[in-house]
Amino acid sequence: MPIEWLDAFLITGLFNVAMVTGLALLLHLQLGLARIANFGVVGFWGTGMYTFGVLYVQVDWPFGDPWQFLVCAAAATLVAGLAGLLIGWLIADLDIDGVLVVTLGFATAVQILATTQDDITGGARGMGGLGFPFDIGTVKENEFLWLVILAAVVAAILFYVWRVHRSPYGRSLIAVGGNEPLARSLGKSTLRTKLWLFAVTSAAMGLLGAMYGVMIRFLDVGQIGVGVTLAAMVGLVLGGTARVWGAVVGVVLTAGVFDIVIQSYLPLPREWYTQAIPVLREAVFGATLIVVLLFRPLGILGDMQRDRLMRKLHGE
Amino acid sequence: MASDVVDAPVVDATAVPRPRIRVQNAVKSFSGRVVVDVDDLVLGDRPIEGLIGPNGAGKTTLMRMIMHSTPLDRGTITLVPPGGREVVLSDLPAYALAHRGVVKSNQVIMDFPKLTIWDSTLLSVTEARYERPARIFSEQTVFKRHEEEIRHYLDYFGFDDPDGFALSAGEKKLLDIVRCLLLKPTFLLLDEPTAGLPDELTEKVMEVIRELGAAGTSVVIVEHDLNVIWGLCDEVHFMAEGKVVLRGDPQSIREHHTVVESYLGEGHV
Repeated sequence: MPIEWLDAFLITGLFNVAMVTGLALLLHLQLGLARIANFGVVGFWGTGMYTFGVLYVQVDWPFGDPWQFLVCAAAATLVAGLAGLLIGWLIADLDIDGVLVVTLGFATAVQILATTQDDITGGARGMGGLGFPFDIGTVKENEFLWLVILAAVVAAILFYVWRVHRSPYGRSLIAVGGNEPLARSLGKSTLRTKLWLFAVTSAAMGLLGAMYGVMIRFLDVGQIGVGVTLAAMVGLVLGGTARVWGAVVGVVLTAGVFDIVIQSYLPLPREWYTQAIPVLREAVFGATLIVVLLFRPLGILGDMQRDRLMRKLHGE
Repeated sequence: MASDVVDAPVVDATAVPRPRIRVQNAVKSFSGRVVVDVDDLVLGDRPIEGLIGPNGAGKTTLMRMIMHSTPLDRGTITLVPPGGREVVLSDLPAYALAHRGVVKSNQVIMDFPKLTIWDSTLLSVTEARYERPARIFSEQTVFKRHEEEIRHYLDYFGFDDPDGFALSAGEKKLLDIVRCLLLKPTFLLLDEPTAGLPDELTEKVMEVIRELGAAGTSVVIVEHDLNVIWGLCDEVHFMAEGKVVLRGDPQSIREHHTVVESYLGEGHV
């Protein structure tokens, strides 16, 4: 495959941007439509990543890849979905403060479990032994193909979210986010809506986590820190929490700038990349979040435009 | 005014089978003050019933207790469908009441700020199976199934821009009523449905309520515009200090000395 024009940093950078875009799109359904601020995105993502890693590395499967990958990824997706169901149930009747505490607490619990259960997760030492479910040549070629597959998955998520806006399901999410008691009085089981929402979005986050595990091939607990949640949250808020394309625009402008432009193209001293850039990234992301919430709380793309959408859908 | 004495004539209304709601030993207190204390009250004997009383009498709280918007301290609220099995509403989750046909409009303005008028009405009519995460292609199905009935109400009430958002307080109030009507209620509770509406729309709302009552829906209205009560209701309940103290036909309630003294004033009769 002629991919000499791509360097390894660019593939990694694009992979990160695509993955954070996927997470931000899923967060958009929770925060932008149902107004549930999930600060534990990394918990579901990390659940998927570690479930996949442990199953892939520690279990002696009677078959090899690609079935081994498919079975482990399906299990990781399922476990993350079940975690979403549990957390969704816990936060169903909580206010925004309670949701913040529970979701942040869940993400912390996942990181602590991954650290302390080191006999199966490798703990702080990390866990190797993961690999691509295919081998088409060099590492770079395998990584590129994996990037293409991830891009297809994220495109599918984007299409799903786009369709949700145009479906009764999306309308019920907006209703739950806008006025839950009123939605209940119209016969809507808002608890069921929230549980479905959390189960499906968390499962997809778990799948993205599993795919990330394959890409890095070595899991360590440092990867499931708050930075993942922050990247998805900042990207979404900057682009616009209420708009489908908000996640895409915002993540390209945040993770895209840091993980591609700065990592690949700026002539910065090499030592900065290990220490200064990751810290600077989180600091700038945090500052961006504050500035956007202060001066343009609806993000670059602004509020959703249901009137235009309804006219388009129903031909008025 | 401490007893539940019914000393106005009670109209016999068992001719038409219609759902009733029975409120038994229902008590609600806020900060130690008893706001509602109803021993035994049956709503729905007549097609359209009014619930009147001075501010603070407990009318809205009683309506909210029926709908689970306000939890009961004690007591039971039962739906008695015509010819069907009784259902203890106070044991059901709040959302399940609409599935049983028990629906209420809101006294204060309630709306979905991000949903258009069409959105809001479609939400009201959409069955749960179309609102599952996998049903992302079902919008047109839902729209086609319900377009006609929604358009009927939107045209009837003359919304300015049904594709846009409900902007004025009156429009939001009207939209609240339309959402309730689209649920095809068998028992409809209306809490000040015409408050803030111009006379023309008030008349239209009253006409729809009359039609519902004639078609077999039981309607209970809380209203301070007493012309609506006298002109619409077949029976009126008078509440004071958390209790229903009188019930009877509108004329007898209107002239009853207790009502005149504590609520209407001498000049009203």
